[in-house]
Amino acid sequence: MFFDRITAFFCLAAVFFILTANTINKYDCKNTFDNELFTHQKVLPMDMKRNYYEDVQLVTSPVVFFWLILLFVFLVVFPFIVGNYYVYVANYIAINIIVAAGLNLLVGYTGQISLGHAGFFAIGAYGTVILMAKAGLPFLLALPCSGLVAAGFGFLLGLPALRLEGPYLSIATLGFGLTITQVIGRITLFGGREGLHAPDIVIGSWIIETDRQFYFLLVFITVLLLLGMRNLIRTRVGRAFIAIRDADIAAQTMGVNIVFYKTLAFAVSAFYAGIAGGLYAFVLKFIEPEMFTLMMSIMFLAMVVVGGQGSLMGPIVGAGLLCWLDLKLRNILDIPFLGDWLETLSMSWFSITGVSNIQYVVFGSIMVAIMLFEPLGLYGVWLRTKRYWRTWPF
Amino acid sequence: MKKKMMILGCMILMLFSAPIAWTEEGVTDTEIHIGQWGPQTGPAAAWGSVARGTGDYFKWINATGGIHGRKIVYHMFDDGYNPAKTKAGVKELQEGTGIFAWASGVGTSPGLAVKDYLMERKVPWVGPAAGSLHWVSPPEKHLFAVYPLYYNEARALVRYAVEDMGKKRVAVAYLNDEYGKNGLRGAIEELEAHGMEVVAQVPVEQTDSDVKPHVMQLRKSDADMVLLWTTVSHAVRIVGTAKAMNFTPQFMSTSTCSDFPLMNHISKGLWEGVICATFGELPDSDHPGMQQYKKEVFDQFASKDERWGMFYAAGIIFIEPMIEALKNAGPDLTREKFVTEMEKLTGFKGVGPEVNFKPFDPNDMYSRQGTRQTFLVQCLADGKAEKLTDWITLD
Amino acid sequence: MVDFIQMVVSGVAVGSSYALMGLAMVIIYKTSEVPNFAQGEMALVTSFVTMMLLTTFGYPVWLAFCLAFVFAAALGAFLEFAVLRRAKNPNILGTIVITIGLEMVLLGLVSWKFGAEQKTMPFPIGPYDSFIIGDIFIAKLEALTLVSALVLMALLFFFFRYSRLGLAMKATQQNPTAAKIVGIRTNRIMMMTWGISSVVGATAGLLISPVIMHPFMMWDPMLKGFAAAVMGGMTSLPGAVVAAYMLGIIENLFGGYVSIEFKSVVAFAIIVLVLCFKPSGLFARHYVKKV
Repeated sequence: MFFDRITAFFCLAAVFFILTANTINKYDCKNTFDNELFTHQKVLPMDMKRNYYEDVQLVTSPVVFFWLILLFVFLVVFPFIVGNYYVYVANYIAINIIVAAGLNLLVGYTGQISLGHAGFFAIGAYGTVILMAKAGLPFLLALPCSGLVAAGFGFLLGLPALRLEGPYLSIATLGFGLTITQVIGRITLFGGREGLHAPDIVIGSWIIETDRQFYFLLVFITVLLLLGMRNLIRTRVGRAFIAIRDADIAAQTMGVNIVFYKTLAFAVSAFYAGIAGGLYAFVLKFIEPEMFTLMMSIMFLAMVVVGGQGSLMGPIVGAGLLCWLDLKLRNILDIPFLGDWLETLSMSWFSITGVSNIQYVVFGSIMVAIMLFEPLGLYGVWLRTKRYWRTWPF
Repeated sequence: MKKKMMILGCMILMLFSAPIAWTEEGVTDTEIHIGQWGPQTGPAAAWGSVARGTGDYFKWINATGGIHGRKIVYHMFDDGYNPAKTKAGVKELQEGTGIFAWASGVGTSPGLAVKDYLMERKVPWVGPAAGSLHWVSPPEKHLFAVYPLYYNEARALVRYAVEDMGKKRVAVAYLNDEYGKNGLRGAIEELEAHGMEVVAQVPVEQTDSDVKPHVMQLRKSDADMVLLWTTVSHAVRIVGTAKAMNFTPQFMSTSTCSDFPLMNHISKGLWEGVICATFGELPDSDHPGMQQYKKEVFDQFASKDERWGMFYAAGIIFIEPMIEALKNAGPDLTREKFVTEMEKLTGFKGVGPEVNFKPFDPNDMYSRQGTRQTFLVQCLADGKAEKLTDWITLD
Repeated sequence: MVDFIQMVVSGVAVGSSYALMGLAMVIIYKTSEVPNFAQGEMALVTSFVTMMLLTTFGYPVWLAFCLAFVFAAALGAFLEFAVLRRAKNPNILGTIVITIGLEMVLLGLVSWKFGAEQKTMPFPIGPYDSFIIGDIFIAKLEALTLVSALVLMALLFFFFRYSRLGLAMKATQQNPTAAKIVGIRTNRIMMMTWGISSVVGATAGLLISPVIMHPFMMWDPMLKGFAAAVMGGMTSLPGAVVAAYMLGIIENLFGGYVSIEFKSVVAFAIIVLVLCFKPSGLFARHYVKKV
């Protein structure tokens, strides 16, 4: 009860801060704001960067250092202070964060579209399990290998994507995602449609059995990949991606090798999805081709967009929120207050047997609303809020 | 440092966790907690009525006095046929609420995602709603399969076609997944036993919406009996397209398609004459047990959008043995006792097939596969069913 | 040989519903450059509403269908007005995300209202009655779909080419600002486009519904229709129809001669191949981007 109140208080406070910032400051110097978001150049004087190295630096001030330490401590302590279920949820979210971060590189930074990331996810999952079970590779080798296999497929898909855009690209990637599961289901080495059981993970003498143990491995990999992503974005490669997104022909005239960077974006993005897929196989301990549906690809895309494309925090927030909602909306009628109302509504206008489908309505509405009101996603909301309150009384 | 952290963590954990009671997890003096998942959303949502049927059945049991004075508290959640969500839900309920035993649960892949977890914790799980061999090969001490194996159903159908109807050329259209392949295997093996072969094996994909090429292959094989091991929609499409092509073999199908009123309606009357295997008495049969359930469970407790169909009834059929064992286990309910009582069920007959379990034997799958009976019915003009055989036992 | 002809005929038959969906998507893309992923679900809503009119309210078929088309047009126009128009200078990704979001909302509403159990729609022509000529057959319902697809394509083609409204739509697509300057109410044009497109899509949905209805029934036709539209160049009405028939025929031949397991995905493989060589589809003039 006590904790409920504290949570409620914090929620209300957050809503207040966000609303104030977003209603009052909404149309204020819009252009500067957008520029800031897309180029990552903070316009406020105290954030002035003098060279590119400063952009890559992780620790820029004691305050940042403090928060980083706090985050680190939280990540370490987290599995011990919550129940096993929440550790599982954290694992699930972490995996989606990896995919979303990778997809964000493609969608948010390079300006390409992919509706086929479930395909790379499947390749990673199958690759890892096969390499471990059939080829006997250790987990730490099998995972990056299958990530590279996925990256290879990403590169192949990137080739036709060089000449495609918009709807053409979306249908090509969508087709890839649908075809790949079909192919996997056909190959008997991959267990066909009966699926595969994942072996235990053994690293040295460390056998990973529980969710808690897996959590530490997963968090380590996730942090590593996110740092890698950050460095990629903040260096030459990342600037090339952004240039391609903003105007590819202009970028080409400036000497950006489009062929190289576009296929690279696909490959890296697929690599991330592949790694995440490999980890996913061990969360479920069982995989079959039909898990990797078009709906999954759509959800990945939704995570990126809801969180905020073209930002590092965006996919993290988006994946966290959507996964949490996805799990939370299992029992829609158990939600306090709203549940009863929905039940009455279903009884009188809809059907009570189909009431769970409200979750589609919720997800769809979130996607539409984000695109309509805040195309930069939740991260955009956060930035606006931060900007407003940083200089608050003035 | 790390040790201190561990101790701190453990202390906090203990603060949060409830005091451990003496009784079994999920059982209190007044309640038994039973969980189930069932897809209410997504492409498999038509199966969701299994879980709802179980829920209404439990309501009826509670209304008629419960089990030795305890009420059943039923925790059902929607997993959308997504194994990750199944696992999340099972963990949350198991670790949060504490579930005594799991009932049914639709789908092979959702079930397989949680099987190891439940078995490691020694949580009993009765009657997964999918006829997969994964449940019983190898058998697990706490997992009791009630659903007849698709493999056995297919054998019974093929045997009837060959021996009683004198069919010579058998073709199989199967959904290209585990479900379909189990049926196909049963058909192949039964035909082999009769010195025959399947004349055509046509895989149907979940996403196919046009089955003309499939039916053309069936027609080309000149089959006089076609076994449909597909989803409801595909079965209807195949029968319809065959009729449009003037191809009229005897169609036979699985228990999944044995909901004759529904099948007859959506096929616009073409389901007439199709022979199906079943996993229990049909909902509309005059079996006294079924009639009682319809009157006392469905009419009283079902929500108004619910239909008294096969899947809904399946939610009752799969759970009957569980309730029987719970009753037999007496007032001092523990998991161990429950498992022993499940093992003692021999010749148990509710509205489903006869249920026989044996003491656990890791080499005998029938120690945990409780049913191996099915019977065949034929669809009549208005969706009524005619019983062709009595219960057939397969070994 | 008979098999081959039969496969081609079946391919044309199944291609017709792809063609209708493809046409619907092309119409919207032509005017507003939105790849409408919600197209299938718009048709789905209309189909289920029609089924409700027919079975629950017992309306006669002709009345129910007239109401269905009115409803479809209103739904399309409403979605444009209420959602798409509100998007602030959306890029192509933005519109894709919005329409996918709409798709999920509509899918959720339909499943919430009607449940997941399979249904069927009463229709004067039985879905399994067929014309049989020699050894070749075609279902009557599919013949009707074929005729509707061709008629609609012709109507729309001439509409876009010769009618004032059609020309205004074309103008809106080519340069919205200039169109506004010459006095075209582009907003209204957009709404009309969405309405027309929704009606075309709903035709496909209504002609699929007499077979089997369930909330996911439009996914396959929508994706294949989209594939056909892309293959045809996204802006060409006859292109989309021709591509749809090609996909249908290829699917059937592939299923018959090569592998029936990959039948349902071969269309997408072909799409990728075609796009490798003709990045803007078979029938569109090559699209040159202005810097």
